Amino acid sequence: MTKHPDHISASKFIDELRRYQKGSVSRRHFLGVTGLGLATAVLSTAVPGLRPRKAWAGLSGTLNVTTWPNYFSQENYDNFTKQTGVPINVNVFGSNEEMLAKLQAGSTGWDVLVPTNYTISTYKNLDLIEPLDLKLFPSYDPAAQDPRFLGPGTIDGVTYAVPKDWGTTGFIVNTKATTENPTSWKEFFALAQGPLSGKATVHDYQLTTIGSAAKALGYGFNTVDKNELAEIEKLLVATKPHLFAVTSDYQPAMRNGDAAMAMCWTNDAAQLNRDMPEMSYRLGKDGGEIWVDHYAVIKGAPNREAAYAFLDFILTPDINAKEIEAHGTPTTDSRVLKLLPESILKNPILYPAADQLTALEYGAAETLTNPDRAELMARFKSA
Amino acid sequence: MRGSRPGMMNLSMASTSRPKLVTTLLLLPAGLFFVFLLLVPLAVVLIFSFGERAPAGGYMPAFTLQNYMDLPARGKAFFNTLTLAPLGTLLTALFAFPMAYFLAVKVSPKWRVTLLILVMAPFWTSQLLRYYAWMMILGNKGIPGWLAMVGLDVRIINTPWAVLIGAVYGFLPLMVPPIYVSLEKLDKRLLEASADLGATPARTFWQVTLPLALPGVATGSMLVFILLMGDYILPQFLGGGKVFFIGNALVDLFLQSRNWPFGAAVSVALVAIMFVTIYVYMRFVLSKTDTRRAALV
Amino acid sequence: MLRAYAICIYIFLYLPISLIVFFSFNAGKYAMSWEGFSLFWYGKAFSNPLIMGALKTSVIIALSTAVLSAIIGTLTALGLERVRGWLRVTFDALIYIAIMVPGIVIGISTLIAFVSLFDVVNPSLASMGIKLQMGTWAVIAAHVLFNIAVVALLVRARLQGMDRSLVDASEDLYATPLGTFRQVVLPLLAPSILAGFLLSFTFSFEDFIIAYFVSGPDTTLPIYIFSSIRRGVTPEINAVGSVVLLTSFVLLIIAQAVLRRGERTTPP
Repeated sequence: MTKHPDHISASKFIDELRRYQKGSVSRRHFLGVTGLGLATAVLSTAVPGLRPRKAWAGLSGTLNVTTWPNYFSQENYDNFTKQTGVPINVNVFGSNEEMLAKLQAGSTGWDVLVPTNYTISTYKNLDLIEPLDLKLFPSYDPAAQDPRFLGPGTIDGVTYAVPKDWGTTGFIVNTKATTENPTSWKEFFALAQGPLSGKATVHDYQLTTIGSAAKALGYGFNTVDKNELAEIEKLLVATKPHLFAVTSDYQPAMRNGDAAMAMCWTNDAAQLNRDMPEMSYRLGKDGGEIWVDHYAVIKGAPNREAAYAFLDFILTPDINAKEIEAHGTPTTDSRVLKLLPESILKNPILYPAADQLTALEYGAAETLTNPDRAELMARFKSA
Repeated sequence: MRGSRPGMMNLSMASTSRPKLVTTLLLLPAGLFFVFLLLVPLAVVLIFSFGERAPAGGYMPAFTLQNYMDLPARGKAFFNTLTLAPLGTLLTALFAFPMAYFLAVKVSPKWRVTLLILVMAPFWTSQLLRYYAWMMILGNKGIPGWLAMVGLDVRIINTPWAVLIGAVYGFLPLMVPPIYVSLEKLDKRLLEASADLGATPARTFWQVTLPLALPGVATGSMLVFILLMGDYILPQFLGGGKVFFIGNALVDLFLQSRNWPFGAAVSVALVAIMFVTIYVYMRFVLSKTDTRRAALV
Repeated sequence: MLRAYAICIYIFLYLPISLIVFFSFNAGKYAMSWEGFSLFWYGKAFSNPLIMGALKTSVIIALSTAVLSAIIGTLTALGLERVRGWLRVTFDALIYIAIMVPGIVIGISTLIAFVSLFDVVNPSLASMGIKLQMGTWAVIAAHVLFNIAVVALLVRARLQGMDRSLVDASEDLYATPLGTFRQVVLPLLAPSILAGFLLSFTFSFEDFIIAYFVSGPDTTLPIYIFSSIRRGVTPEINAVGSVVLLTSFVLLIIAQAVLRRGERTTPP
């Protein structure tokens, strides 16, 4: 498959046909996407075809993408460079706060960024991202998106960001290292202070660390109430001496046994569990976070054309499917879902039972800029 | 007349304008750098430290002392830095001294430089990777893992001990050379004379060797102290967010919580502490070493 | 006993480094669990455009820094020989301040000063299609600042230890000032300038914290390594580290040979 980056699958062809029939894509796009595949698509499942190269002609320069660690397929990015001649320069960050801080600190040389749901409205208000011109990346189809995940990227009817993938924030337990069986954040923090003292980690990230501690105390995930925050600070500061580390990069510590329990995102959980089956991922039954990461284009991007060509490329279902397979984060796109292997679709880490998701909440925009939460986190870290 | 003029290049004729022009041209580039990349930015930091955090983060003009009053909120970071940085410096000097002594006094001149370079060479390799290696050595699969096999439950990584080990490891290559240089000047005849006069080796060491080495120890210590006070990588990697330095607090304030004014105030406090410490140190230690040396000669 | 102590210190210094090199040959995916010998990660590292890009950025920064610092630092040391009074005192103070202010504060102050400046000037420059931003140039500028001070101190130490009679002799032979400088002073200063060049290169190539603040969208090798370590290192990074290590050892040996020759030609 990798030898034929220009193939088009049969199911994609049908999808394109339906979209064309529904009128959601232009005829030019339909012919462009399906291209020569038209004649042979019905005969084979994967045949060489043509991408709409026309839209990608005349690109030059470099594309600067900022994203999270272990969150893209290098193979896909290489193929983009092969097809467009535009090399991709990737920057990775540890948190949304860090990304925003870098943007505010004048790092305006980027083109594409990967913001999490709760940050998009702030980026928009600070005039850091531009309203997306959907015509420029026809491979994105709002109709194919899970409607649960379309809200955050659209503000007042204008699309500022499109979904990349979604996931949850729970915790991972090394069942070989402990017989404890936590199922809630309340138990998580109790264990961290007790039997798993010195063996637990929490994120270096205000949203999830404060939010999960809030759930353990029975408050809302996004609380900014000063009294509640004071209680949360007490819990976190009391837990601090017992923690192995405060870090968003817990994979190494979990792998070598320094930590036995860690606050954890879906994709890290999937990667850990893939290599070590004893790694068990749980969602707090008292609540927690559900998130959607997006693609957005920076206002005044030096290479705006390439940014849109990149969105068009990466959101093409078969290419997007390779992304998901590479980093193990659930997709929001029903067309991509059809292309994924059973092993991914049946993985309860990626696709937990629906009832487990009901207790989860989106992060709120307010938490990103709230000075009290920021200061609480900083005090907790320096405690 | 020639001898009375300062400097070695007799280009300067104070009465003519051309040499003045030459002097100006020689000093101008550095002057520009010092003004625009040191003085102006430091002034900006000072101004910002009296400001307020903008609603979405960053800086908002204001005049308030609140940021300085909030400094105790980073008390632990200041405490950690102000205890572990001097302690780390002291330990590094203690470990470096015998090494420098060995190289300067015991090793044959033929091998001295090579062996000294071997001490310095680690500093030329990625600091990040070296600390990463220590994360592994001090982690569960490293030394504590072996100790666990004999029934000892020891935790080192993410404790102040790990940070101290890292400090000695990271800065030994910087501490040994200056001590070596001052010991190398040590005239061996002095040692012999001391022995001939009936001094015990210990007495010779305390009264001859050590005073001679002090300038080197002082230089090396100052260098290491400066680097440790502003360190971020060492506490980040070997302290794991649990042993927090001022450097970590600063990275947090500028690259996470985006509270520039408070960050500026912490920076001003750090620089102020360093200037005062170094001033006192130079007054006290350096003047003392000078008088001792004078007394010896 | 001292000898045994020295051996222990060498082991202490080189054990972590040998671990890095050892695991660069690891066939497995994780940096610290051995699964057999392989050169796979070397190939991988050298075909990784991100690593190569970061390496290139770092080399550009370090070379520019070293060249600029060596030149400006030497000029400064020479200039300071010619002045007395307040100017001399001021420059001495600035040199010490540049060395004493921690790198992290240099990074922060450069960042906020320039970002604030850009916020003011960028709107008016926009009409000309110019947009100023942080980046490689800012890293170089901040590195040069610190290293000017280092080179100036090194060269000055050499100048002060220099035999004045050589200069006098040259002048008595009616050499022009520039001729004296080129033929007498510069060769005498060469070892210290070279030492300053190498030190500047190393400080710049190794620096993480200043670049972390001011590099804007550009990635240097230490920044790349930092983010790799955060997410769990593959032996790829060990491979790059080993190559950098080997290169710096070779450079160090060459530099030492050059410095020694310099010392032999100029008796102290």
